Amino acid sequence: MPRRAAQDHLPLHPLAFRILLALMDGPSYGTRIVDEVERAEGTVRTIYPANLFRRIRDLLSDGLIEEAESPSGADPRRSYVRLTRMGRAVARAEALRLRALVRDAERHDLLPEAR
Amino acid sequence: MKHGSDRARVYRACLRLLPPDMRRRFGPEMVAMLLERLDAEPSRGRRALIRIGAFADLLRQAAGLRREARDARGGATAFVGDVRQAVAALRSSPFLTAASVATLGLGIGASTAVFSVADAVLRSPLPVHEPDRLVFVWPEQNGNRTMAELAEAEMRSLELVSGLSSWTLTLTGSGEPRELTGLQVSPNYFRLLGVTPLLGRSFLENEDLPGAADVVVLSHGLWIDAFGGDPEVVGRVIDLSGGEYERRRVVGVMPAGVERLWRDADVWVPLEGDPALDLQSDPSWYVNARLGRLAPDATLEQASEEVRVHARGVQRTLPRIFSVEEAERATVRTLRDVLTQDVRTPILVTLGAVLLVLFIGCFNVANLMLAQSDRRHRDLAVRAALGAGRRRLTRGLLAESGAVGILGGVVGVATAWGLVATLRRFAPPDFPGLQDVGVDAPVLAFALVATLGATLMAGLIPALRAGRVEALSILAGSSRGTAGKGAGRMTSTLVAAQVGLAVVVAVGSGLTLRSLTRLLAVDPGLDGDGVIAFTANPRDGDYPDGEAYQGYFGEVTERIAALPNVESVGGIHLLPGTVDNWSFPTHPEGFTVADDEPTPSVNFRVVRDDYFETVRLPILLGRGVANRDRPDTERVVAVNEAFVRTFWPDVDPLGRTLSIFSASDPSYRVVGVVADVRQHGRKVEPRPEMYFAHGQPPWDNVGMWMMVRLRSGPEPASVAPAIRDVVWSVNADVPVSEMLRLDDALGRSTRGARFLTLLFTAFGGLALALCAVGVFGVTAYVTGRRVGEFGVRVALGSSRIEIVRTSVARAFAPVAVGLALGLAAARLGSDTLSSVLYEIDATDPVTYVGVGALLALVGLMAAVVPAWRAANVDPVRVLGSE
Repeated sequence: MPRRAAQDHLPLHPLAFRILLALMDGPSYGTRIVDEVERAEGTVRTIYPANLFRRIRDLLSDGLIEEAESPSGADPRRSYVRLTRMGRAVARAEALRLRALVRDAERHDLLPEAR
Repeated sequence: MKHGSDRARVYRACLRLLPPDMRRRFGPEMVAMLLERLDAEPSRGRRALIRIGAFADLLRQAAGLRREARDARGGATAFVGDVRQAVAALRSSPFLTAASVATLGLGIGASTAVFSVADAVLRSPLPVHEPDRLVFVWPEQNGNRTMAELAEAEMRSLELVSGLSSWTLTLTGSGEPRELTGLQVSPNYFRLLGVTPLLGRSFLENEDLPGAADVVVLSHGLWIDAFGGDPEVVGRVIDLSGGEYERRRVVGVMPAGVERLWRDADVWVPLEGDPALDLQSDPSWYVNARLGRLAPDATLEQASEEVRVHARGVQRTLPRIFSVEEAERATVRTLRDVLTQDVRTPILVTLGAVLLVLFIGCFNVANLMLAQSDRRHRDLAVRAALGAGRRRLTRGLLAESGAVGILGGVVGVATAWGLVATLRRFAPPDFPGLQDVGVDAPVLAFALVATLGATLMAGLIPALRAGRVEALSILAGSSRGTAGKGAGRMTSTLVAAQVGLAVVVAVGSGLTLRSLTRLLAVDPGLDGDGVIAFTANPRDGDYPDGEAYQGYFGEVTERIAALPNVESVGGIHLLPGTVDNWSFPTHPEGFTVADDEPTPSVNFRVVRDDYFETVRLPILLGRGVANRDRPDTERVVAVNEAFVRTFWPDVDPLGRTLSIFSASDPSYRVVGVVADVRQHGRKVEPRPEMYFAHGQPPWDNVGMWMMVRLRSGPEPASVAPAIRDVVWSVNADVPVSEMLRLDDALGRSTRGARFLTLLFTAFGGLALALCAVGVFGVTAYVTGRRVGEFGVRVALGSSRIEIVRTSVARAFAPVAVGLALGLAAARLGSDTLSSVLYEIDATDPVTYVGVGALLALVGLMAAVVPAWRAANVDPVRVLGSE
């Protein structure tokens, strides 16, 4: 049942997927997520606040992430979020979807250096 | 912090663009994040780039969020959804859709076509300066040249006045001899019109003095046709040997269109006159009209006041020519008004009729949609229950009618295009301005307005009704629903309105049809069937003396009579059935008028050869005048019955005498009485009339319309070449006109009425058909909803006849209401038709009763058929489905 629901969220917005990936290791907050996403390989675009929080808002309302308690002493403006079970399932489903896509592309010799 | 807030002031302000929940929850963090990024960036340029990027991103995300929110609510993008849904709904009932589109298309198309005619005819551009300030002075009366001058001098509301007189001329020496219409005008004429010549000049101040100038201005058409558009034509001397003009020098060419203003002139010449003459001594009574221009600050009302003063003055000087009543009735009328006087009312009435038909069509479509939406009530109720608001439902239905409307508009414009092309082909050629009819910008604008109006009218009613869906009541009820009750009432109202409008249009077509029947039943007094008419008048110079002139006509007549298939030949100087008219002050023997009364002015005709036999005009007493009446024999005249009735009601007219111009002039003895002829068209009662012999008319060398009666068989066109050859064998320089059928000439006067009746009958038929569809639809709908009840009643033993009767009675009720209201409205509106009706009262009971009966019958038929079908359903099947 969760598996089927996870499929319903696909495909994910690329930034949403990145956010889910950034949360794999535990709760985080806006600037840190951005730092991590921008650091990650393949991200060329600067991520601005409005874009980031629009996706966070969507992920929250879809139940893929949830609010997490801030660690003591953290800046009160920072709201921490973490992955839900559903979020993890969706991220995984998206990754599988992408892998299938990439394999398909390889079969068509679209990525010769990958061989 | 303070510092940081200031740096992000603009960004913070723009956060307002975001949805409130997002702004409240993430706003401070977004600002903090931006500031962090800025602080981390050492380069000033990069910082600026980050600011710009963040700002642009904010705008983009805000827009995206808004779009999402609207989609969720069902907003602007929901429009696309509405349309998609509408198209799906329309496609699900293709027959209904096609019927609606066709109905609207026909209505829009027909009204657009009629509007294009009205626009072209009533508002056709006149190629003069401020055409609506040009007025005819006392247009009811002919006058002389001095009257024009007097009007200009006396009426302060007019700045210029020109006399106008038309004449027929012959142009020779430029290809085939051709007959021209010449217009004698005052030298100020073109200044009055405000037109500048295309070439050369117009007339000079003194060129109207007798013998002062032999000049002529050419129309654009003649310049192209006869002179090949040669710019060197100015200065050339041309031969116009009709009338008293001999050789005239071309001084100018007018731009195209100026000739259309009055009697399609080919050339203009100065209206000559001796300035020493006064009102009494000026003999130029051939001045047909006086055209003036309103002074810059003057109004038409002022001119109307002044013209009566002017006319009274003229009447006091010339009591024998004008009566007091005539002077009191004097008016000024605008040029456009006079040009369109015969067609204005018919066109406006037709436009009104076709708009009514459009309304009927709209109500029809509204009704179809209402029935449709009612059938879909459950669907709508479900949507309402799922949270679609009233606005959303209304909008969905409006999208549906909008789609129908747009399709209807497209069909309508195409229909208008076709109709206009057809109209141009079949409309009477002498219908003014019809040559300009086309589908142009104002016409398309009208079509657009008509489409919008029709769409709103057809869509709003069902949409508003459907918006009032009460989800629970419908879902709780059976398929029959409860909301149908109100819809049924609305449907009935629409049917009543439809029937009412149809009655109005049908009464209009009934009246015009009956009027036309009466008109066509009028005996014009002569038999034009098989008679061809043409002119073959020699130039003046060719036969200067009367004897030779008579000799020419005698020879032409003799040779034409010798042609095979020719039964008889005659001649008359004015073509019957046209508005042309000549009259003389006449003094019948023993008939006296008071000193201050005008001398009766009596129409006359000059005839020759076997005219009376050729047109089968019965001679009732004595004999007709003929060729044996010559200058050297006794002066004789034949009169018509109206003349006898008017002047000699109680005495034997034969042997009595009359004199013309003055009582002391030599008299003519009456040798015969002939039957009345409707010379001026069927509508005009015969007036007293005199017939003079061509050999002894009051003046020499009167031109003739030759009349040739053919034995049955050949088409007139086939003998035309032979007749031309015969004329040219006598004199090769004579222009021979087109060969007309006398029937066509006589029919001209009824052509306008026939055209109007044709249009009106078509619209009446359309209205009736639409109405039948409407009643059929509503009965089908009402009975369809009660099918279950019928099933029960049939199962319980009710007879089908009984069921049909009750449902027809129910469906017929709105028809009856509509009939009553429609007849009353028609009675109120029919007075506008009075001016175009002939011998039929606008209250003609036969028409009203007939139309009422016809519509009642149509309504009944349209109600019975679906009721019968509903009553014949199988009760078992119906009850099973409940």
